[in-house]
Amino acid sequence: MAAPEQLPSQVGSALDELRATLDRAAELAKEIGSRPESAAELSARLADVQSDRDELSTKLAEYEQQVGRLMNLYVATYQLHATLDPGEVQATIAEIAINLLGAERFVLLFWKHDGDEASGECEVAFAQGMEDDKSGLYPNGCYRGGDPAVDATLADGGLRIGPIDGSEALACVPLTMQGARVGALVILKLFDHKAMLRPEDRDLLDLIAAHAASALFAARVYSTTDRKLKTLESLVALVRRQ
Amino acid sequence: MKPKKVLVVDDSKLLHRMFEMMLRGFPLVHAFDGREALDRLAEHKDVELILLDINMPRMNGLEFLTAVKAHPEFARIPVVIITTEGTEDDTERGMQAGAAAYVKKPFRNEELIGVINRLTASPAA
Repeated sequence: MAAPEQLPSQVGSALDELRATLDRAAELAKEIGSRPESAAELSARLADVQSDRDELSTKLAEYEQQVGRLMNLYVATYQLHATLDPGEVQATIAEIAINLLGAERFVLLFWKHDGDEASGECEVAFAQGMEDDKSGLYPNGCYRGGDPAVDATLADGGLRIGPIDGSEALACVPLTMQGARVGALVILKLFDHKAMLRPEDRDLLDLIAAHAASALFAARVYSTTDRKLKTLESLVALVRRQ
Repeated sequence: MKPKKVLVVDDSKLLHRMFEMMLRGFPLVHAFDGREALDRLAEHKDVELILLDINMPRMNGLEFLTAVKAHPEFARIPVVIITTEGTEDDTERGMQAGAAAYVKKPFRNEELIGVINRLTASPAA
């Protein structure tokens, strides 16, 4: 315990400490008083950040969808032009229809030609899911007309997406090459788990319209040329042996 | 983290190209039917995920899946069925055969990436 003569100085310092404590308490009280305002500010900023985050999240989802669409288009184009085998090009068109568009029943039509003239009927170059077709429009691998949407697309080269009155086609995709109409892809039914063609499918249909015919034409020309070349080579070899 | 090796089993070249684009960074092993896929599995024992079509020549997807699930070494590998067979019966059949997930074609890329990320626990994109 402190001696009595030391008390005044101790009281003085205790008073100083007390004053300092009171000043600090006043400062803290001021800070506490201003807190509701800062909390409101923080809430507003938090709301802004959350709103920005939601907007970015929506944009990210949109970009991801866009990337998916572009990827589908790139892969479809790449694969269409990746081969010079006509059979493989046709298979690729079918794979695009099945795997990317969800088509369960479809036909690939090409105009038949008598020499340089169009014969007025189309050959069914490829058909999927047509085993139990009851329309009678595609007998013996031929299409001679009868579906108004298909006929219109073959005539004017316009892309048509159903439903279309009087037609069972869900989509008629013109196949054009250097402006000339060479046929059509006719989608007749989608898989049951795909209710309808989606907006992004339009891009794929446009792509088929623009690329399928030229890819197939290039493959057919190559195939014919290659066959002729091989015939010539074998003739030359025969002549040399003789 | 080392990216997981994925076996892609589908008879469509288009789909193989699609998976190459979508799963950049994942080492892929390709097979075009179930029988070839079994051979690939025997060669690549470090495969950690299988993406499997159902309708394929020689050995279909369900036959392949049954063989994989009966194999002591491969049974642990998660299998994602990706197919046009989309009825509830088809889905149930696939899941009962041991599939970890069932995705119907045509699929949205982000949907499949979500499934793959969930099963591999490493980001696919």
